[in-house]
Amino acid sequence: MNVTTMTAEQRNVKPKRTVEQRKARLLLIAELSPVVIVLFVLFGGALVLAVLQSLGFAPWFGVNTFPDFSYFGALWGSSAFWVSLWLTLYYGFVSTIIALIMAIVLSLALIKPFRGKTLYKYLYKLPLMIPYTVGIALVVLMLGNGGIMSRLLAFVGMIDNPGEFPQILKTHYGWGIIAVYVWKQVPFMTLAIYAVLLGIGRETEEAAAILGANRRQIFFSVTLPQILPGIVSSTLICFAFNVGAFEAPFILGGGYPDTLPVVAWRYFNDANYAFQLQGMATVVSIGIVSGVILFGYLATYRRYERMRGRA
Amino acid sequence: MASRKVTNTFNRLSPFQRFYLIAVAALIVGPFAPLIVQSLAFRWAWPNLLPSVWWLEQREKSPIPLAWDYVLSPYSRIYEATINTMAIGLAVTVICLAICLPAARVLARESFKGKNGFEFFLSLPLIVPEAAIGIALLMIFINLGLAGSYVGIIIAHLIPTIPYMVRMLTAVYQGLGREFEEQAMILGANRWQILRMVTLPMLMPGVVAGALFTFLVSSNIFLLTFFLGQGKIITLPTLLFSKISGGTLDASAAGITLIVSLPGIILLVISERFIKEEAFGKGFGN
Amino acid sequence: MTGMKKSALRKGLTTAGALALMTSLAHGDDAAKQFQMDFLDGKASWEDVKKRAAEEGKINFYYWGGSDTINVWVDSVVIPALAAEGVTLNPVRITGTKDAVDLVLAEKNAGKGVGEGSVDAIWLNGENFYTLSQQDALFGSFAQKVPNSGNFDWNEDDPRSLLNLRDFGVVTNSQEIPWSGQQYVCAVNRQYVDAADTPSTFEEMKAYLEKNPGKFTYVKPPHYIGNTFVQSVVYAFNPDGNGAIPFQKSIDELGAEELARLIKPGMEYLRSIEPMLLGADGGKARYPEDIAALDGLFLNGEIYFDCKFGLYAVHTGLQTGTYPEQAEAFIFPKGLMIANKNYLAIPVNSPNPASALVFANYMASVESQASKLEKAGMPVGIDIWKLTAEQAAMVEKAAPKHYGVTQEELDANVAPDTNASLVDVIEATWLEYIERGSSASIEEIVAKSAKEIAQ
Repeated sequence: MNVTTMTAEQRNVKPKRTVEQRKARLLLIAELSPVVIVLFVLFGGALVLAVLQSLGFAPWFGVNTFPDFSYFGALWGSSAFWVSLWLTLYYGFVSTIIALIMAIVLSLALIKPFRGKTLYKYLYKLPLMIPYTVGIALVVLMLGNGGIMSRLLAFVGMIDNPGEFPQILKTHYGWGIIAVYVWKQVPFMTLAIYAVLLGIGRETEEAAAILGANRRQIFFSVTLPQILPGIVSSTLICFAFNVGAFEAPFILGGGYPDTLPVVAWRYFNDANYAFQLQGMATVVSIGIVSGVILFGYLATYRRYERMRGRA
Repeated sequence: MASRKVTNTFNRLSPFQRFYLIAVAALIVGPFAPLIVQSLAFRWAWPNLLPSVWWLEQREKSPIPLAWDYVLSPYSRIYEATINTMAIGLAVTVICLAICLPAARVLARESFKGKNGFEFFLSLPLIVPEAAIGIALLMIFINLGLAGSYVGIIIAHLIPTIPYMVRMLTAVYQGLGREFEEQAMILGANRWQILRMVTLPMLMPGVVAGALFTFLVSSNIFLLTFFLGQGKIITLPTLLFSKISGGTLDASAAGITLIVSLPGIILLVISERFIKEEAFGKGFGN
Repeated sequence: MTGMKKSALRKGLTTAGALALMTSLAHGDDAAKQFQMDFLDGKASWEDVKKRAAEEGKINFYYWGGSDTINVWVDSVVIPALAAEGVTLNPVRITGTKDAVDLVLAEKNAGKGVGEGSVDAIWLNGENFYTLSQQDALFGSFAQKVPNSGNFDWNEDDPRSLLNLRDFGVVTNSQEIPWSGQQYVCAVNRQYVDAADTPSTFEEMKAYLEKNPGKFTYVKPPHYIGNTFVQSVVYAFNPDGNGAIPFQKSIDELGAEELARLIKPGMEYLRSIEPMLLGADGGKARYPEDIAALDGLFLNGEIYFDCKFGLYAVHTGLQTGTYPEQAEAFIFPKGLMIANKNYLAIPVNSPNPASALVFANYMASVESQASKLEKAGMPVGIDIWKLTAEQAAMVEKAAPKHYGVTQEELDANVAPDTNASLVDVIEATWLEYIERGSSASIEEIVAKSAKEIAQ
C-alpha cells in the first residue's frame, strides 16, 4: 500500500501534463504487473514449457531433440488416443448440457417467490461449496453395484444380486462421472444464470405475455437471449473443467482407454521417463482441443451478439 | 383479467416447478443421509438398508480405532489436512486480494491499448484445463525446489483463483462510480485519505465476497495440490481422494467425507450474508 | 505494490536460500558422503550412528498408506519408539510405492546427490527395489550392519535365507532389510460357497465360474496384487510343468522368446475366464483398482473370492468389518501360493541417513515385529529360527488366528515370486493382451515389451 501512497503524493506535485500522463501510465503498469507476473510467468511459463517438452525439449532427462513431432505422431497415430479424446469430450459435453438444462429450469423456478426460499437458496448451493471428491464419494455410495440404489431395488424385490443392478460406475458410458459433474455444476450454473435473471428483471417477459406470447415463445425469444451471457460464461468454465479433470474419471471411469488427463497421469507415473514427453504431448493435446472448441464457442457467441447488435 | 393471469404465471410456481425444486433438493442433500449411516457402520453389506453391525457395538471390542474413533484421531491426518487447507486458503486469499485489487481498479476505470486482449488473457486459466498446466508446473517446481512445499502450492493456487477475484473486484469497482471519491477530493481529502476513508469501505462488501470465493476455490482444488504436493502436503480434497481412489467407501472414508464437507457448509452459512447473487453474477455475466 | 511484491519475493527467495544453506550446513553433501562411507566401511560405530541420528533428529518414511490398521500401528507404536531415540518420524502415506521411487529418481536426476533428497526410507519390494538398484539410487549395503541384523538368516548355504538375499529373484546386496513376510492368500465367503464347491486350482475356478459367472475378479495389474495373481496363473499353466522354477531367471538369461512360450498358456487362460469375471455380462470385465475396492466387492457379495497378499487378511477384515461375517481363507491355488518378503530401503540421497539406519534397526527388532504382527496383522519379516526361545514365544503369542486354514497348510503350498525383470514384461503383456484385447500374438507382445523395457 505504501507504494501506492507514494505515487499518489508524487502525482499531487503536479508538474507538466505529459509527465502526469507518463506517471499515470507507470501507475497503471505498476498496478497491473503483479497479476501479470504471476499469470505470465507461472501460467504462461507452464504452457510454454508443456509445448516445448512435448516437442522433445527436456534436457533434464537428457533429451533434447527439439523440434521433434514424433511424440505427437506416436500419440495421434494410436487409435486409443482418439477413443480417449472422444471419451473426454463426451463426458465434458454431456454433463455440461445436462447441468445447463437443469440449471436453467432451476433458476426460472428460483426467481419466483415461494415459501422457504431463503432456506432453499442456502441449500442448493451446497455442492458448489464442497470439493469434487465429496461428490465422487457420494456417487460411489449411491450408484455402485453394492450401493444404496441397488439395495433399494433389492428391497422392493426387483433384483436379488448386486450383479443385476445396471452397472453405472466404471463403464465407458461414464454416467458416474457425469453424475458427479452435474451434481457439482448445477448450482454453479444456476448461480450465474439466476444472477443475470435478477439483474434484468421480468418486465420484458411480462410485456411479451401481455402481447400474447405463449410460454415457449417467451422463453426462447425473450428470456433465453437475456440470460445467454450467464450461460456462456458458466458453460465455458464448466466444460473446460470437465475436460481437464482427473479425479472423477480416474475413480469412476471405465479403465482403458481412459480420458486424456488420466492417460497423461499414467504416462507421468511410468517408470520409463521417456513416457513423460509422451504425457506432455497428451497434455498439450488436451489444451489444443479444448482451446479450439472454446474459441469456436466464444466466436460463435460474439457473432450472435453482434448480429443482435449488442456487442 | 389478462394482466392478472400474467402476474400469476410470473409469481407462482407451476406444479412442475414445485416438484422440480423438491427433486433437486433431494438430489443435492439426499445422499448425505446414507453417508452419515455409513460413517456409523461397522459392517454394512448388500442388500441391507441399515448396517448389520453398528460401530458403537464393536467400539469396546475392537483393538483398533474404528469409524469416527479413527476419523477423529490424529491417525487419520484429518487435523493436519484441515489446518493445511485453511492455511493455504488464507494465504492464497490474502495474496490474491493484494495483487488483484490494483489490477481490478485499472480494469474498471482506465482504458488502455490491448485491454480486451488483457482481459481475455486474465480469464484464460479458467478455460485451460488444469491437467494441462499442473504437470508442467511440477517440472518447473522440481527444478526450483518448490515441489512438495507450501510456497509452491500457494503459488499454484493463485492461477485458478486470480481470474475469479479480478472479475469480482472489477465488477465492484465498476459499480462504485467515481462521484464519492471526486466529492471527497473537492472537500480537500488527499488520495490516501480517499482510499482509506471512501474507496476501501465502499469496496468492502465486494472484497469480502471475493475473498470468500477465493478461499472456497482454493480449498476445493484437488489436481494442482495432488500433483505439486507430492504426498508431502495433504489437504482435505487430497486426503479424501487417497481414501476413495479405489472406488469404495468404508466407515472411516464416509466420516472423512463428512468432515471434508464441513468447511464448505460453514462457508455457505456465512457467505450467504456477504455474497449477494447480484454481485456474484456481475463477475460472471460477461 | 510492485515494490511490496518484489520485496516479498526477494524475502521469500532469501529465506529459501537460507534454508537451503542451513540444511547443507547441517548435513552437507560432504558430511553425508563421509558418513555413508564410514558406515558402509564399518568405520562408524553404532554409537556414532545413534549420535548422528539424534543430531539429524528426523526421518521421512514413505509407505503405502492404504491400510488404517498399518497407519495406526505406525503412528501409535513406531513414532514414540523413535522419539525415544531422539528422532522424529514423519510418516508420508502414499497411494502407490512408485510415487516414492519416482520422487527419489526425479530428485536424483535433478542433481540432488547424497544427503540432499527428501526420502529417507521406503517400504517396498520387487520391481520398485529393482528400479532403484538399477538406477544406482540406494544408500548401500546396510542391512547386515545394523545391530538387529542377527534376527535374519544371511547364510547363503541355507535355502531358508533366500528371501533375505533375493527380492523377486534380484540380489539385494543388503541394500534393503526385510520387514514383513507375506503370502498370497484367497478368502471365500462361506455364505455363498460351501467347502465342496470351493476351487483349489485354476481349472476348478474356471469350472466354478462357468456355473456362477461374475463371482470372481482380481485386482488390475500393474497393481502388484494383480501382478501376483497373474504370476501364479502363469506358474500353474507353465507348459513344462515345473511351475515357478524358470521364472527365477532374469529376462536376459531367459530371453523374450522363451518367456513368451512359458507364459502363453497362462495368458490364454486369463483371456478365457475374462467373459466370466465380474461385470463381464454387462459387456466388460471389471478389475478393481486396489485392495479397498476388492474388499468392497467381497463384502457386498458381488464377488465370492478375495485374493490378495495377507496371511491374516481374514482376521483384519473381520476386525474392521471390511470382510463379510462368514469369510475364511482357503488354499488356492494349490501349491502355488506366492510367498515373499517386503523390505525397507534407504535411498542414496536420504537427507537423514543415520536416522534411517536407526529406524531400520528398530523395525527389525523382535519387539516391533511382534507388535506389528499383533496390532496390524502383518506377518513378521525376521526369521524365527534365529531368535531365542523366549523371543520366538513372544512372536508366537502375538500371531492372530487363522480362519479356515492352518499355518501348516499355508506353509505347505508356497511358491516363490517371479524375477523382478520379468514382472514388468508380464505386466505389460497382460495390459496389452487382456486389457487392450490386442490381436497381436503373445510372442509379438512379449518381444515388443521386453524391448521397450530394456531401453
